[in-house]
Amino acid sequence: MKTFDLVIIGGGPAGIAAAATAANHGLEVALIDERPTLGGQIYKRVGPGFKVKKASEVGKDYYLGEKLIAELDNSKVNIYFETLVATIENSEVVVIQNGKSAERLSFRKLLISPGAYDRPVVFPGWTLPGVITAGAAQSLVKTQRVAPGSRIFFAGSGPLALAFPAQLSGYGANIVGIIEAAPRPGILKSIRIALSVLGNFDLLRDAAKYQFHLISNRIPMNYRRIIVSANGKNRVESVTHARVDKNWRVIPGTEKTVDVDALCIGYGFFPSVELFRLLGCELGYEESRGGTVVKLDEWGATTVANVFGAGDGTGISGSYVAIARGRLAALKIAVELGKISESSLSKLAAGFRKTLNRRVRFQGAINNAYEIKSGIYGLANEKTIICRCESVTLESILPVLESTIDPSVVKAYTRCGMGMCQGRNCQRQISALIAEKAKISISQITQATPRFPTKPISLGQIADSTVSSEKYFIDAE
Amino acid sequence: MLNSDFLPGYLSQSENIEELPKQSDVVIIGGGLLGTALSYYLAKAGVEVTLLERNDLNREASGTNAGSFHFQIALHQLTENMTEADDKRLVDETKLMLDAAKLWDDIEKELNADLGVHFTGGFMVAETQEELQVLRDKQRIEEAAGLETHVMTGNEMREFAPYMAPDLSGIAFCPREGHANPLLVGPAYAYRAHELGTKIRTNCEVSRIEQITGNPGYRFKVHTNRGTILCNRVVNASGAWTAELSSQLGLNLPMGLSGLHVNVTEPREFFLSSMIQHIGRRLTLKQTANNTFIIGGGWPSREEKFPLRYSNIWESAAGNAAVAVRVLPMLKDVQLVRVWSGVWAYTNDFKPILGESEKIPGYHIAMVPTGFTLGPMVSRMLAEYMTQPGTQNLLPKEFHVDR
Repeated sequence: MKTFDLVIIGGGPAGIAAAATAANHGLEVALIDERPTLGGQIYKRVGPGFKVKKASEVGKDYYLGEKLIAELDNSKVNIYFETLVATIENSEVVVIQNGKSAERLSFRKLLISPGAYDRPVVFPGWTLPGVITAGAAQSLVKTQRVAPGSRIFFAGSGPLALAFPAQLSGYGANIVGIIEAAPRPGILKSIRIALSVLGNFDLLRDAAKYQFHLISNRIPMNYRRIIVSANGKNRVESVTHARVDKNWRVIPGTEKTVDVDALCIGYGFFPSVELFRLLGCELGYEESRGGTVVKLDEWGATTVANVFGAGDGTGISGSYVAIARGRLAALKIAVELGKISESSLSKLAAGFRKTLNRRVRFQGAINNAYEIKSGIYGLANEKTIICRCESVTLESILPVLESTIDPSVVKAYTRCGMGMCQGRNCQRQISALIAEKAKISISQITQATPRFPTKPISLGQIADSTVSSEKYFIDAE
Repeated sequence: MLNSDFLPGYLSQSENIEELPKQSDVVIIGGGLLGTALSYYLAKAGVEVTLLERNDLNREASGTNAGSFHFQIALHQLTENMTEADDKRLVDETKLMLDAAKLWDDIEKELNADLGVHFTGGFMVAETQEELQVLRDKQRIEEAAGLETHVMTGNEMREFAPYMAPDLSGIAFCPREGHANPLLVGPAYAYRAHELGTKIRTNCEVSRIEQITGNPGYRFKVHTNRGTILCNRVVNASGAWTAELSSQLGLNLPMGLSGLHVNVTEPREFFLSSMIQHIGRRLTLKQTANNTFIIGGGWPSREEKFPLRYSNIWESAAGNAAVAVRVLPMLKDVQLVRVWSGVWAYTNDFKPILGESEKIPGYHIAMVPTGFTLGPMVSRMLAEYMTQPGTQNLLPKEFHVDR
């Protein structure tokens, strides 16, 4: 078994920055990612067969990603590409690499930076072909240079709801409309964001650039409107959207329908907290950072010994915060492993800490401005599928809510969350339904017991015939 | 026939928040399969019953097992050097299984509910010649008890079960075996018991069972987080926690606990209608109505303190997967999607603990290691005993509480 000073799970901004920083200070580092290239979602590289001549021409994120990944070029970081983390136990990460059998990587310190995934939003027609998340659309464009359709509609909220369609349009895709559930930024909100902007002018400038692009290309952009349904027989043919009140509840009679062949949904992100939960790290709930977040100290240490977290997987804060957090965690880990002295830590960290504070301020203002509202959970009708893996509709879930506030009981009776996505698509919706029915906060709903595997893995890769079974037979029924 | 939609309504929130009754003839502690089934059979006989469950119904072993009927003799029932007495014991144990099979035949009619009961047979496989001999030995005993099993080898085996590894030394097939949906059986009993007047209180945890005197008709005061309840008879049906609760009263039950690991895969086209077990290694394997495979067989999981569920150990997944792939090679490319873990209570002699304590009259215990297969039947046996006082011989001596 291989032993590392530091094992890092997730090769996005946080993981790359942490790996480079730790390696620079003499740590033996393993960096694990399930994709064949580094970068995570924001710095995703082009797919095999594609070539980039000049990174800066592809876009700012691509260029920044290239610079960050280059930090690893001369380091001795062991990168495990196409590697899934099956579970973590006894200071060992059980990994499955590219079709091979499971192996164990032993660590002295662990940094988990798995990133986030798109918030699934349930509304009539959300499972129709042609309806995809903004993240999926982004992956198509970033890795394959493919637009998701020829008449693309965007429904979402938050800064990316603006940025991504602008980028896509910049590549020549036909965007037929954009709706944002939040109101057009008013004076107060603008001031709040502006106050947080000191030192974040670059981000404000980016936002202005996107807005300008949309306006100059005459792409209709409507505020205070939400997706109501995706319509079509075998795939999406049109979308209906409507005006909302301040809680994002649909105002009847304000519906409009647009012909489209692709609908991109971008209502923010969920931190990928599965591994933190599995390890028993203490979690919290902050709606503005994606709901379930990981409790970290100022260096990124979780409440479990030797386990650190960084990046959007611990709570949505964006790539700049992720990079700073990754570097700070790496420095602290280097101190704990005796690679740098305690006394030099604050000096080494000062620059990153300053960046961090500045970016956190900005991201906090943005997140609050676009905080998700309860109306997002109220779009389904009785026939709408809630659990898409097991095809469970709202009407078959409602009776169960009469007698329980435990999502595990809902799961047991309806099969919601038992499928291939392991509940990632439906569990928040279920929690919201329970919370509404029981008139309690969604943060009070208990979550199912964390279990491995964190992603589906074939039995052949898991099987280990050297594991001995005692000679007596216990009947599991 | 009702379908599973009725289940969630078995207990409305509004009734559950009603106060605990002040008294009841019988108080059953534990809302698992045994507790719910017992409450049904008692209520059916006109007995006043209150069922207390500290969590939701059917949440522990009753709802976390794989729902198989195990009628064939399994390895844990065998001893190193089998004697004639052992043979006799195994015949008796197999006869008990056959009684249970008859109950399962009728349970859907009895409860007027679709519980996913199917009798599609079960395999017991052998890899070595030694294991094959065990299959032949157990077949002889099963035949004596009246349970039909067939041992097959070679081409006969490969033709009968072409999906199994062709180099197994042999298989036994028992047409009587089958399965039901474990998520539905206990709640269905509870639903019907409730219709018959049983009062059910969930989120109601028993902290103490007090023996009282001077209150005619009531021998116990049961203390819970929702108040106290007087009763004449108590039934401890708290599964894995049966011994813990009984020790309060000075009873030392011959039982232990083990966490069990279960795997669930992605769905594949349905082809495996019969459950598979292994006579020499830890394996139970079947394809469900949802087309997923459920794979278990007694691999351990790690103990956690209630209310945490037992946690899973990777080695159990790895070892269990290896046996499963060895027996059913197509599983190699099938993906594991979920694992779970249940706590399993066993007795040192693998026999039920069933009946009334002689040391503490009125105090009953219902606990059985192969709880899903035998649970409903032993509950019915106990109900018969409790409704016909003074008939201790209705229950087998070897199930005795004070043994």
